Amino acid sequence: MQRRLWLPVLVTALALAGCSSSKKSTTAASSTPAPAPSAAASTTAAPASAPASTPAAPASTPAAPASSAAPAVSTASGNLTVWVDAVRLPDAKAYQAAHPNVKMNIVTFDGDGNGATSLQTKIQLWNKAGSGWPDVIFSEQVNDPVWMAQAPFNFAADMGAALGKSVTSQWPAASLAQCTVNGTLVCIQDNLAPVVLWVNQKLMTQFGYTVPKTWQDWQALGNKVATEHPGYIIGASGESYGAWQYFWANQCPLESNVSGQKVTINVTDVHCTEMASLLDPLIKNGTVPPLSVFSPDFAKKYGGTADKVLMMVGPAWYTSVFHDTLKTPSGEMTAAPPLQWGTDSPVTTGQIGGGPWIISKHSSNPAAAADFVLWSTTVFNPPSTSPDYRPGLPGYGPLQGPWLTGLTSNNYWAADPAPAIKAAASQIWSGWDLVTYPDQPVWSNTVVTGLVAGKSLSSLMPAFGKALGQAAKAAGYTVATS
Amino acid sequence: MSDTPRTPAIAQATRKRGLRAGGLGRKRTQGNWRGLPFVLPYLPFLIVFGVLPMIYALTLAFTSSKGKFVGLSNFNQAGGDFRFGDAFAHVFVYTAVWLVALMIFVVGLALMLHSRASKATATFRFLYYMPGALAGAASVLVWLFMLDPTVSPASFILNHVFGIHLFVEAIAPGHLPYIFAMIAFWTGAGGWIVVLYGALNTIPSELEEAARIDGAGAWTIALRLKLPMIRKWVAYMVILSFATGTQLFVEPQLVNEASLGHVPDTWSANQLAYQLAFRYARFNEAAAISVDLLVIGLIAAVLIVTRTGLFKKDD
Repeated sequence: MQRRLWLPVLVTALALAGCSSSKKSTTAASSTPAPAPSAAASTTAAPASAPASTPAAPASTPAAPASSAAPAVSTASGNLTVWVDAVRLPDAKAYQAAHPNVKMNIVTFDGDGNGATSLQTKIQLWNKAGSGWPDVIFSEQVNDPVWMAQAPFNFAADMGAALGKSVTSQWPAASLAQCTVNGTLVCIQDNLAPVVLWVNQKLMTQFGYTVPKTWQDWQALGNKVATEHPGYIIGASGESYGAWQYFWANQCPLESNVSGQKVTINVTDVHCTEMASLLDPLIKNGTVPPLSVFSPDFAKKYGGTADKVLMMVGPAWYTSVFHDTLKTPSGEMTAAPPLQWGTDSPVTTGQIGGGPWIISKHSSNPAAAADFVLWSTTVFNPPSTSPDYRPGLPGYGPLQGPWLTGLTSNNYWAADPAPAIKAAASQIWSGWDLVTYPDQPVWSNTVVTGLVAGKSLSSLMPAFGKALGQAAKAAGYTVATS
Repeated sequence: MSDTPRTPAIAQATRKRGLRAGGLGRKRTQGNWRGLPFVLPYLPFLIVFGVLPMIYALTLAFTSSKGKFVGLSNFNQAGGDFRFGDAFAHVFVYTAVWLVALMIFVVGLALMLHSRASKATATFRFLYYMPGALAGAASVLVWLFMLDPTVSPASFILNHVFGIHLFVEAIAPGHLPYIFAMIAFWTGAGGWIVVLYGALNTIPSELEEAARIDGAGAWTIALRLKLPMIRKWVAYMVILSFATGTQLFVEPQLVNEASLGHVPDTWSANQLAYQLAFRYARFNEAAAISVDLLVIGLIAAVLIVTRTGLFKKDD
């Protein structure tokens, strides 16, 4: 009898084990945080990915809780549910403290791109259930508002109407363009992330180089570095946002002329091919390696005491990359203005990140939702000595001054990076539109994998264009290639 | 079990103990319901989390988002997706590599453990099983470190044997099916070794003795006596492993995130279904892919069952 029973028992046990392990696996996949290397580089990396601990500065910065342009005293009340990332949590808590009449429900979520589809999943579930939507969401993925504003999600409310034109006009035009979907402002950027040229001033002086002003000078210097100081680098091409770093700056139409469900992806445009040709020799000679600054390999080879980063083309929030990720020694780095293409004028640059705030169309308390976003973007600005110091250049113009003062007074920098960052914020090329599909992984899995295997960027561009087109079509876009 | 080697001594021994070879094919003339209490606690879960979702997926796969019957339209659309072919090709290469490794090494190791029963056996059995105690995602994380030459304790092997100096080189697209198969083997094989070892223990020692008396050596006993007698267990392992293999998700998903997108988030068929459902809100096409996987799993199971006589009751 016992012998007869062992079989069903074993089968049941195996079935249970199989089931539980597969379920466990699925859950784990959706909720397990990725390992360190990816923590800061998301599919659509935003400055929010950068840790909040931007180098602290002496306590000379004014706290500036409210600037002159801040709105009138809020009368918000009622219930308010906000979804924020960990970096924005102090902001939400500070709002709660300042507004006891508002009963807040603060939810933090894995918005750093590792949970790339978490918001899509949630919004669809709320839509299906017909309830449960939060009033406000902060996303670290800059393209989130684009799909949120459209079917089948239909989540984002009109931000322009919520904040009023007198407030939104304080954001740069390129920032507003990034948040405009089909003519409606559907989000507002928490911070700006213009791409600048980061420079290791100590090494530049030591090697007797001058800071390049044009892409061509930068390339010439790269060739020189490869022969005179092999091992040192002037950039990196292995980020998922590699195309945003280089091609956006040179006005290459990889996601342009978006109107409704149409997009232009033209990798044969001269602005694209000339940038690819400019980068190719540098990738080959090792001065622009196909590695990500967030990979352990990169930190080991170029960061910390190795100190081999001579220059880096990167966004404003790279402040924390040098200080925290690469641990570049103090007193070496600073920011220079974005590079110019030959004599082309005006100079344009790209933007990588700049997390947006979104108000829900389904909000039952739109007044408090708008008040919260207004407060978060125009009032909240802790001093640079505070651990809650904002991680990126505020999008709201009047708040930039106090924030930059904090950066200036920080003795980590070899020279004040603030002027270059501030100037670059107004140079972002507005011809690069955000799209609903994730374009950055396409760069990683078609271009970077090829570069690692020793292929040239120019030879990979057709495949890159094709893969971008496929991703666009899968998301319902009609693609124009010229 | 008509092909079991039957020397006179074995036949006699079998008769003596009244055994029927092949544990899975035992005749059940009575007591079919005696197993029920053991299965009962699991039944509600099976229905709620297994059967009902399957019916739901089948319904979704053949209907539109508005609930109208659309025949095979969802299957055509999902099949026409530009990532569909790649995803299934990846999964098949991976499953093939993994199953072959599983069959050869699991059966081999179980036979070796069994033929050298000693104190060391218990230690090895434990060692083999141990990685399986790690949850799926955690074991992938372990491998992410193993494969990263910067931090890997086996970096000298990566450097000198494979010529890999960077993590991005380790996870080059061509390596992935093998890497995932290695991870799956490492976490899953131990459990199967223990199961097969258990199966080997059900072979009466008289049979082995009889075979030895008839002049069979260790090899012959392993290959011609033990292996045929646990054939059904091996078939059972292959069916279950085939199904889990085609449903690969956790490994490529985590490597996708860890590699900053070098590995596409639609590398495997299950990932593609996940992306279709949650990124594009195309639940019906996602369900169609899950049904594709179900059909493939069923076909494989039917083939294996009929070829190995898994459910044959008599010998």
